[in-house]
Amino acid sequence: MENTVEKLEEEGRRKFLRLFGGVVGGGGIAIAAGTLLTEAAATEAPAKTDIIPAIPGYDWTKHHWAFGVDATKCIGCLRCVEACKVENNVAKDPNHFRTWVERYVTLEGEEHARIDSQQDPVNIAAAGAEGKYRFANRYKDAKVEKAFFVPKLCNHCTHPACVQVCPTGATYKTEDGVVVIDHTYCIGCQYCVQACPYGARFFNEEKRVTDKCTWCYHRITKGLNPACVEVCPVSARVFGDRNDKQSPISIFLRNNRVNVLRPESGNAPNVFYVGIDKEVS
Amino acid sequence: MPKHISRLVLLLVVLGVLGYAGKQLLTVKSFYQFGHYRGDSVAEIASDRPKFHTPKSCEQCHAAIYDVWSKGVHNNPGIGKIVKCEVCHGAAGSRVMKPGAYHSSTGTDHPDNLKLDIPSDTVKLCTQCHEQMPGRPAEQKQIVVAAHAGEQQCKACHNVHSPRTFVGALASTSRPGNAAAGKAIAGDCAACHGKAGISEDPAIPNLAGQNEIYLADAIKGYKKGLRKNELMSGMAKDLSDAAAENLAAYFSGLQCKSAQNGEAKEAARGQALAAQCFSCHGANGINSQAMWPSLAGQSKDYLQSAIKSYRAERKNSMMSKVAKDLNDADAAALAAYFANAACR
Repeated sequence: MENTVEKLEEEGRRKFLRLFGGVVGGGGIAIAAGTLLTEAAATEAPAKTDIIPAIPGYDWTKHHWAFGVDATKCIGCLRCVEACKVENNVAKDPNHFRTWVERYVTLEGEEHARIDSQQDPVNIAAAGAEGKYRFANRYKDAKVEKAFFVPKLCNHCTHPACVQVCPTGATYKTEDGVVVIDHTYCIGCQYCVQACPYGARFFNEEKRVTDKCTWCYHRITKGLNPACVEVCPVSARVFGDRNDKQSPISIFLRNNRVNVLRPESGNAPNVFYVGIDKEVS
Repeated sequence: MPKHISRLVLLLVVLGVLGYAGKQLLTVKSFYQFGHYRGDSVAEIASDRPKFHTPKSCEQCHAAIYDVWSKGVHNNPGIGKIVKCEVCHGAAGSRVMKPGAYHSSTGTDHPDNLKLDIPSDTVKLCTQCHEQMPGRPAEQKQIVVAAHAGEQQCKACHNVHSPRTFVGALASTSRPGNAAAGKAIAGDCAACHGKAGISEDPAIPNLAGQNEIYLADAIKGYKKGLRKNELMSGMAKDLSDAAAENLAAYFSGLQCKSAQNGEAKEAARGQALAAQCFSCHGANGINSQAMWPSLAGQSKDYLQSAIKSYRAERKNSMMSKVAKDLNDADAAALAAYFANAACR
C-alpha cells in the first residue's frame, strides 16, 4: 500500500514540476521574444532626430542654449525679477521667484559677507508695493569693504538631479538643453524641489505643481531673448545658442574665464558666471 | 494539475494582461516619443505667448519717441547699456491664464485693450538704477538723491527718453515765427515793455534779446491761463499762436540792454549764490536752452518779484523748489547780480 501511495505522489509531483518548468520556460522564451521584437521594432522606427516637437519654425536639434551672468555689471535694479514675474505669471508675493538677485556685502573687519536678496523684509519695505522689488540702500552709511550683486536662476544642468528624481516624467531636459516642467503630469510631490542644489524650484500652491525658470522657452523658440535678458539695462545677463559661434553667449564664453555654481554637485550647470566671489554658491 | 494551481496561474495571466492593457490605455501616446516624458508637452510649453514685445514693436507707432530714445544715452549698445521701452513702461502684452490649463495664449494686448504704464514718479523710477549704492559698479552713473535734486522729479530737467538732454532741448529746434510780421503788431507791447523791448519800468521785464521759444511759450501761457497777470492775460487773450510766435521772433532779434540797477555789494553776494541757476539759465545767466529765459540784464525789481512769485502762486516744478530755499535777502542778492550782469 505504502508503495502505491508514494508512487502516486511521486508521479503527481513530477507532473507538476514538468508543467511548471514548461510554463516558466515558455514564459521566459515569450518575454525574450517580445523584447527582441520590440527592439527590432525600435530600430525600424525613424531615428529620434526625424521626429521633432511641433513648434512652428523651430527645430530643437539645431540649438544648444546657454546662459551667462556677468556679476561685475549687475546694478541690482531688479528689473529682471519683475519682468520674469510678469512674463511667466509667477505669484506677485515675495516668496515665489523663478529668478532672483542676491547682494553680497562684506563690511570692514568682518570675515563673512552679509547676504540679502529682494526677498528680505527690509528690501520689500523699500519697494513699497506688492510685485515691485527694490534693494533698500541699507549699507549707504556703513563701512563697506566689498559689495556686489549676483543674479540667480535655474542652471538648466546637463545632469539635472531634479529630472532624475521625478517619479512621473513631469520634468525633463529638452534636446536643446532646457529643463522644463510638464504641469499636467506634475503630481506636486516636490521631490525635485529638494533635489535641486541651487534652490531654483518652488512650489506653486495655487496650481499644486512645481514651477521654475524655463529660460522663457516660449520666447526662445520664437527667436526672442528670455524676458530677464530682454530687460536687463546693463547686459549683465547674456543668452544665446552655443551652436552659433557669433551668438552673445558664445562670445561671452570665449572672452571670459567663467565659473559655474557648485561644480562639485556633479549637475554640470549651464549658467556661466563671471565675477563671483568664493561665498557665492 | 490541481485545480487551485491552474486557477492561480490563470489569475496571474489575467492580471498581467489587464495591467499591460491598462498601461497601454492610460499612457499618453506621445510619452516616450522623445524620452521619459510626454512629448506633446514640449510644443505646449513653447506655444505660450510672449508678453515683452521688444522696442521694435513700439517703434511701429511711436517712431518719434523711438528716434529720440535710440539716439540717446539709454540706448548704447557699444557698452551694453540699453534701457528698452518695456523696462520703464512694462510689458506690452499680457497673458491671462485660463483656469485649469497652465499654458494658454489668451489675454489683453497693447494697444487694443491694455494701456501701458507711464511712470509718474520719476524719482522712484530712475533711482532704481541710479541711486548711489554699495555694490553698484563704478561705471554705473549714480547720484546721492538728496544732494542731486532733493525731491525734484527727474523729468523736470532730464528728457526721460534721452536723459542726458534737457527737457526742452529737443523741442526747441522749431522757430516758426516771422520777425517782420511780429514787428507790425508789436506796437501794443511798447507801452509797457519799451519801444525796442527795453522796459522803462523796473517792474516790467525787458523783451529784447530774450530766448525766442521762451517768449512764445510765455505769451501762449498767459493765453491758456497757465500764467496769470491782469494786463498780460488780457493782452494775450486775442493773440493767435502764430502771432505769439511772430512777436517772439521779433523781440528775440532785438539788441538787449543790461538794466544795471543792482547795488554792487548785493550783486557780489548774489554772485556766490548764482551758481545753482547756471545749469538751467546758462553760464552767467545767458541761456543756451531755449525753453528757459536768460536772466542777465533784466531789472532787479522784476527778477526779485519773479523769484518771490514762485514761492506763492506761480507753479513750476523746478523753480518752486529753488525759490522755496531762498529767503528774501537771497532773492534780492541774486536779482542784483543778474541785473548787473552783461546780457550778451
